[in-house]
Amino acid sequence: MTALPQGVKPAQLSQDGPEVLVIQWSDDTVTRHGVRDLRLGCRCAECVDEWTNLPRLDPETVPADVRPLRIEPVGHYGLQVAWSDGHGTGIYTFDTLWELGSSEPKSPSPTD
Amino acid sequence: MASTPEVHTALKVVDLPDLKTDVVSAGFVRNLVISGGAISFELTMALPQAVPASWVEQQKERCEAAVKALPGVTSVHVKASATVRQGKPADRAVMPEVTHVIAVASGKGGVGKSTTAANLALALVAMGHKVGLLDADIYGPSMPTMLGVNQRPDPASDKTIKPVQAHGLSVMSIGFLVDQDTPMVWRGPMVHGALSQFLEQVVWGPLDFVIVDMPPGTGDAQLTLTQRAPLSGAVIVTTPQQVSLIDARKGLKMFEQVKVPVLGIVENMSYLVAEGVDGELDLFGRGSAAKAATELDVPFLGEIPLEPAVSSSGDSGTPIVVGAPDSRAAAAFAALAKQVVTSLGGSADKPLDSMVWQA
Repeated sequence: MTALPQGVKPAQLSQDGPEVLVIQWSDDTVTRHGVRDLRLGCRCAECVDEWTNLPRLDPETVPADVRPLRIEPVGHYGLQVAWSDGHGTGIYTFDTLWELGSSEPKSPSPTD
Repeated sequence: MASTPEVHTALKVVDLPDLKTDVVSAGFVRNLVISGGAISFELTMALPQAVPASWVEQQKERCEAAVKALPGVTSVHVKASATVRQGKPADRAVMPEVTHVIAVASGKGGVGKSTTAANLALALVAMGHKVGLLDADIYGPSMPTMLGVNQRPDPASDKTIKPVQAHGLSVMSIGFLVDQDTPMVWRGPMVHGALSQFLEQVVWGPLDFVIVDMPPGTGDAQLTLTQRAPLSGAVIVTTPQQVSLIDARKGLKMFEQVKVPVLGIVENMSYLVAEGVDGELDLFGRGSAAKAATELDVPFLGEIPLEPAVSSSGDSGTPIVVGAPDSRAAAAFAALAKQVVTSLGGSADKPLDSMVWQA
């Protein structure tokens, strides 16, 4: 999948069961995100070393049933998630979410 | 007898070049009644700025003439009026009653960002809008001097304060809260806290625009504002010199990264106009900002001349748009304001709702 096209942004967030975040984008693309994968994919400085880019987060320490508690928009460019394991410093930019979403199986968009 | 579509087609000749439309396409023609040869309708014009009564009368006469030319029309009655177009604020937590928040930014300091912010805000007031001005430069607040006000803001409640009024603007600046000569020796988190309070604990009230005078650079303060302020767009200020343009590009890229639409680049200190100077004197390489705008594929918003009155009026607390409205610089600021209004359209986008996860 290509980079996030200019001007495209999430239009609606929803939940598909307890473990999947569904993002409907303004161009009608739909991406699906397993929430534990999303937690493990956090790119904040606590989870990824900001100088070396090496992972600092040990997946073993993240509970198997980790869940978002609350998802807040940040400016016009990202989402911040408060997680059930107490983590909450990461900002998932729309670009990142678009990229992460591309590797997930997608549900057909309404125009298909 | 003329039909409704015939009347509409005839009225399309009444064009409004400033709005790039005509009275029919803009939806200004209402309550059209055709009764035999007698035709009446209302011409209700919602415009981006206040207009003189003579202009309204002129459009009315153009409409009458256009319709009268139709076969079978004996009389035309037009009720014409004009109002300043009001957008609708998006439903949001921060600045809930403010329609558009616009950042005025540059990469480099000293390019005239605060001068541009103040004069843009006042040019919007002159167009008939309700406008606020947030001085986000915590380390070097300019607005108290530039607008000639220095009073403590009044409390609105236990935890909120009201902006200070100056030249028809609602203004907030850290300069109102500390002595002029007291430096703010603060690390980033303190700046973040102060700016968050300006966004959340100042009762801005219902406003069409809030102009944010950004501090120079791409650091803590900029991040806070792009994350927490509901910015509709950003205006980048630069001077023609390369050193300024390089940083302007960085400022522009920052807004692109955080998905704030860049409304365009304005070139300050484009050329000198002064007594004793013949014509316009190119000091710093006029036109390089326009070139950069083309390269970066963003609109070019105009050239502000270097005019001694621009700086002296800022220092004396009466910005040039108010102090010398007939000057070249004031005209350039008015043109800038007009472009900002046009490119933002009416209403703000509704932001994404926050979401509570259901276990």
